[in-house]
Amino acid sequence: MLLTIDDLCKVYRGRVRANDGISLSVAAGEVFGLLGHNGAGKTTLLNQVIGLSRPTSGAIRIDGCDPVADPDTARRMCSLQPQAQAPLDGITPRQAIRLMARIRGAGRRRARARADELLAALDLEPWADTVGQKLSGGVRRLTAFCMAAAEPGRLVMFDEPTNDVDPVRRRLLWQQVRALGEAGCAVVLVTHNVVEAERAVQRLVILDQGTVVAQGSPAELRGEHADRLRMELVAADAHAAARLAGEAEGVEPAVVAGRRVSFPIEASTASPTLAWVQRHRTAGLVDEFSVTPVSLEDVYITLVGPTERGGPIESEVESASLAA
Amino acid sequence: MRHWLRSYLLLLRWNLLRMRTFLPLLLIAQLMMSGGIVLGFSILIPEHDRVTVLYLSTGAPTVALIMAGMVLAPQALSQQKLRGLFDYQRAMPVPRLAMLAADASVWTVLALPGMVGALVVAALRFDLSYDVSPLVVPAALLVALVAISIGYGIAYLAKPEVTTVLTNLVIFVAFVFAPVNYPAERLPDWLAATHQWLPFQYMAQAMRETIDVPAGGVPALPFAMLAIWGLAGLAVTARIMTRRT
Repeated sequence: MLLTIDDLCKVYRGRVRANDGISLSVAAGEVFGLLGHNGAGKTTLLNQVIGLSRPTSGAIRIDGCDPVADPDTARRMCSLQPQAQAPLDGITPRQAIRLMARIRGAGRRRARARADELLAALDLEPWADTVGQKLSGGVRRLTAFCMAAAEPGRLVMFDEPTNDVDPVRRRLLWQQVRALGEAGCAVVLVTHNVVEAERAVQRLVILDQGTVVAQGSPAELRGEHADRLRMELVAADAHAAARLAGEAEGVEPAVVAGRRVSFPIEASTASPTLAWVQRHRTAGLVDEFSVTPVSLEDVYITLVGPTERGGPIESEVESASLAA
Repeated sequence: MRHWLRSYLLLLRWNLLRMRTFLPLLLIAQLMMSGGIVLGFSILIPEHDRVTVLYLSTGAPTVALIMAGMVLAPQALSQQKLRGLFDYQRAMPVPRLAMLAADASVWTVLALPGMVGALVVAALRFDLSYDVSPLVVPAALLVALVAISIGYGIAYLAKPEVTTVLTNLVIFVAFVFAPVNYPAERLPDWLAATHQWLPFQYMAQAMRETIDVPAGGVPALPFAMLAIWGLAGLAVTARIMTRRT
């Protein structure tokens, strides 16, 4: 395993347990997801891996190196795209990517080639030579992604890389994430975008309040839910959505987001539910509906709960689905 | 060492790219300020004897270095903290002191035209000639090092708003209440005694007595005091830069 984390705890002053007994491992060539609500402890975890923050207890090893004892070596072995927007004032994406690749150890020629390659792969060439202050948030975020990916080292970590990025370039970005894995890097992907993560990662952990609540491949996490389907419908209005959510006979309570209602059902009982929704559609209460195999999003909501302490999860899930 | 040098050069390049749009403005501001100190203070002080004029003309380059290291550099760092560049730099595989050196280089070079400008203005205005020692180069570097290591210490420790207040306070003290542009004898005894332990007086003396070497030669004391302040500032700043939360 390239990255091993064992029983990691991080307690901040004020006794906030940002990470509480986290254990996980990531192999070379693997794309690994770190999922959780805002404040679940994802960024805290990354900061400890890259040696910016010191664990309260527990151990981290990056290919045998201990970032607590030797943060300089840890930083040379792994690259990070922080969640903060890239500081590109006065500097163009092409210059920033080349410089970061060179700082990370690439030779002049390789830095140049990697910058050109990534700018083309993410369709960023129209802005490649525009200074940062004139770029949109999405282009800045993609540039930051390229800065981390150009010379990634053995372990590369992306903290919410798709924020502000348009749907077409998100797909291009996921291709590059997979390419990094195929090139032998261990990739850690932090996101609260469950739908996208499901497509991109080979294994993942779900964090809640600093603890690991589930770990495995997307298929393993679906596990017992594998024979379930998800009914998703769009009601005529919010009032109808609330009424339908109350009526729905799902395996779990329905989740309502605006006009959207979603709930898991057993495959064996799909027919009565279909008849029920078709009836409401005819009556004008339902605009449209779909039935799909249960997704990681459903598992996630079951594990972590439909609402988070900092705000509603529905809006995130909705935007995730819309973006996917 | 190779890694250190490579990191330094690449960060220097990044700094120059980042600052190139407002470098001319900063250069002009520094030039005007240094010249302004010489001309402005000469209006305030009516008697233009050689000592007064020498203090003014050599105090201006010192203030230019203090301004760059203790005001402009920490305020720029505060901005970087606000805009996230700081987080990026912290996650980069570069030696922390190479980061500091790359920043310090830009700010020191930026202060140079102002320093030379002030000396030229003073020479023309007061018909002054200097007996310059080659030690002026290490003196200026030492002054810049002390200024920037203390300035960065403040900026790393304090919140951006507090940094602005503190750095403004520093330049106010250096300008008005420190024996930089005038001899220490003009200060009240307690303040003159305090300045025996602060760096400002030694910054000014190191610059003054290498730009115009006194009869007894260049003294060692200011260099020694500045070296102590520089090392202490560097140690504290390096400690803060490598500190982990």
